[in-house]
Amino acid sequence: MAAIKVAEAPADQNRSKRRGKGMQVAGLPWILPAFIFVVGLIYYSIGYTGYISTLDWDGLSPKAKAVGMGNFSKLFGDQIFWDALGHTAVFYVVTFSVQTLLGFTLAAILHTKVKLATLHKVIIFIPTVLAPATMAPVFRIMFADDGMINWILRSVGLGSLAHPWLADGNTALPALMLITIWQWTGLTFILFYAAMSQIEPDLLEAARLDGAGNFRTLAYIVWPGCRGTTVSLAMLGFIGALKTFDIPYLVTTGGPHHATEFLGTYIYRQGIRQAHIGYSAAISTVLLVLAIFGAVLMSRANRKEVQG
Amino acid sequence: MVTKWTKKIALLSAAAVALAGLAACADTSEGGGSIDPVTTEKATSGEIVWWGFTPGSPVNEGYIEAFNKEYPDIKVTWKQTSIEDYDAAIRPALGNTEGLDVYQLSAGSANGGAAVFGPNAIDLSAAVEQSLGADWKDQLSATGVNALTIDGELKALAAGAVFSGTIFINQDLFDKYSLKAPTNWDEWKSVCDTFKKNKVGCFIQGAGQGAFNIDTVHAIADNVAPGNFVKATKGELDWTDPSLVKAFELWKKLFDEGIMQDGALGQMQYPEAHNGFMSGKYAMVMMGTWYLQFLSPDVMKAAMEGAGSTDEPFTMMPIYFPDIAGTGHTGSLFGDVDYGQAVSINSQNKGPATTFALWLGTSDAGQQAIADSLNLIPALKKITPDWNNVKLVNEAKQAEPTKALVQAASAVTDAPRFATINADMNQALMDALAEIAAGKATPQQAAETLKTQQETVG
Repeated sequence: MAAIKVAEAPADQNRSKRRGKGMQVAGLPWILPAFIFVVGLIYYSIGYTGYISTLDWDGLSPKAKAVGMGNFSKLFGDQIFWDALGHTAVFYVVTFSVQTLLGFTLAAILHTKVKLATLHKVIIFIPTVLAPATMAPVFRIMFADDGMINWILRSVGLGSLAHPWLADGNTALPALMLITIWQWTGLTFILFYAAMSQIEPDLLEAARLDGAGNFRTLAYIVWPGCRGTTVSLAMLGFIGALKTFDIPYLVTTGGPHHATEFLGTYIYRQGIRQAHIGYSAAISTVLLVLAIFGAVLMSRANRKEVQG
Repeated sequence: MVTKWTKKIALLSAAAVALAGLAACADTSEGGGSIDPVTTEKATSGEIVWWGFTPGSPVNEGYIEAFNKEYPDIKVTWKQTSIEDYDAAIRPALGNTEGLDVYQLSAGSANGGAAVFGPNAIDLSAAVEQSLGADWKDQLSATGVNALTIDGELKALAAGAVFSGTIFINQDLFDKYSLKAPTNWDEWKSVCDTFKKNKVGCFIQGAGQGAFNIDTVHAIADNVAPGNFVKATKGELDWTDPSLVKAFELWKKLFDEGIMQDGALGQMQYPEAHNGFMSGKYAMVMMGTWYLQFLSPDVMKAAMEGAGSTDEPFTMMPIYFPDIAGTGHTGSLFGDVDYGQAVSINSQNKGPATTFALWLGTSDAGQQAIADSLNLIPALKKITPDWNNVKLVNEAKQAEPTKALVQAASAVTDAPRFATINADMNQALMDALAEIAAGKATPQQAAETLKTQQETVG
């Protein structure tokens, strides 16, 4: 019986291979329009950006000067670029950590019996759907020297802490991180909430029967159960941090004195304001490489840990 | 068979993508569209699209309405972007043969600056000569002609110019606290102390919007040693010249001694400084001649409402930058063309587009409309505001100083504001001034950085 099964298996596999090959041949023309669209639009654009990064060009002039890798070598000596990378790293670590902590905690709380749970979920999620362009002026007013934050501090007797938050290079970046956390914690919360809903109730029940308290259940059952979500959020957060543009551009325009410069704002400043399209394309190329490299690295680390 | 066809199709697709890439590369290296740099056409019919960022609706529509009284068969569509977005919006639009015929061109490194967008405009020299005669250069303000001429080609016809070096004050607040407009450092400090005691903001500037910082430092530098700032921007004087370092020190002093409002580096000139002044929270603001438009009660009322104030319009007065260096050199005005009308080389409607640009920049009717708005100092020298048509909030107090300022600005011939500063130096200056203000660099260090930058980018 066992021998028959072993003998049949390769035949099934061969049939399956043939079927697969047949599907490839028949299916390719069907996906070709989409394939051409994707290759032609997205990958062509990426390739073209790579090509522009080898030029000294203002984006309009009919004459573009080829500079080879000149823009990239200039990049490595550009302190503002390095500062922007540093801001991105700090921004990512802080916003991801705080959002994860808050999102996970809120999701766990709302999985318990909470009154008006739906209302709470809506309130937590609303900032995520608000356009940064509409919120930026509000935050500029709130963080101004005579804004609401300082007014509250002065009102509760903490006037000595009042500060022109956006005017000081040391506090402008934390202010932006605070805005980002306020805006994106809702998304983190929703994803964790969904992930927690997927955990088998039997597993939680078993943990309870084994005497695990709330904290231990969260730490040893729920948190590992949300691992996939956390990794996805880490990757999305990393790529999002690299692409950060709207909040710093709208709230601080990258200032004061480049203290909130990110790769996105620097690309815009170089490409649009200073008409160095080639140089901004070089920064874009580096951004792309970093995003791919970071995502692959995280994915691999996660796979290793799961396998280990 | 199917596999072979599939491979062929895939190969053809790849070839098409590659060809598209090559075509795009060729477009970059050779430029697209035919170039017809000289035109003497003056069409009287057609449809054109006019792109710009200033002064904004409904004023631009008003200009079009006045134009259509003379040229009823030319339909002009005004397409406005914000000043911040103008460069990003116009860059791709200029590559098209449709949708953009006339566009606003500014001086040097300003938004829509001629240094970047000038090459995309036709030469209007022949057209303006046909319109005004051989002595057209004598009839038009040199400020506009020089800033919009590139390699001997007149790339746009200036609507008018704006000048900086002035401060606007809320005279009603000064009168309320029996104060006089400051003329030197001590007076300015004393005025600010009095305002602060009465919980009124003194001077406001959006130092987070770097271009206005350049204005203030230019005014200070002209107070220290007139003309040296412009010389430095032209590369004729080192940025480390003691007069310029002194100007940077005085700039820093504005922050250190409380003339500049707290948190200035985190605020923008528009909307924050503008709104702070218009709402009556601050008594002084660093603004140039473009701010004269708010002398009109209707325009000021709208601006005040925009700033959240329901008060009646106040008496606003222009004053020269105080003599904070103690040299006696005051009254400096420096300016550029605010914007000119350029005709795109890719436009399919160059005839009517040129007619419109000529009308706004060289006709009596077009220039009078601009002059009477007080927004700009007209490009056509013979035109001055018709003061009978200009309504002021407080005629008795505002009329004479306003007329004097317009007259003084009209007389300025060679004191550029941004025309001699390229985009890289503009950014370097903004960075240097922000660093000085924040205490991240000393005036001397910032001057040395600027010197190095000037040597690198010119």
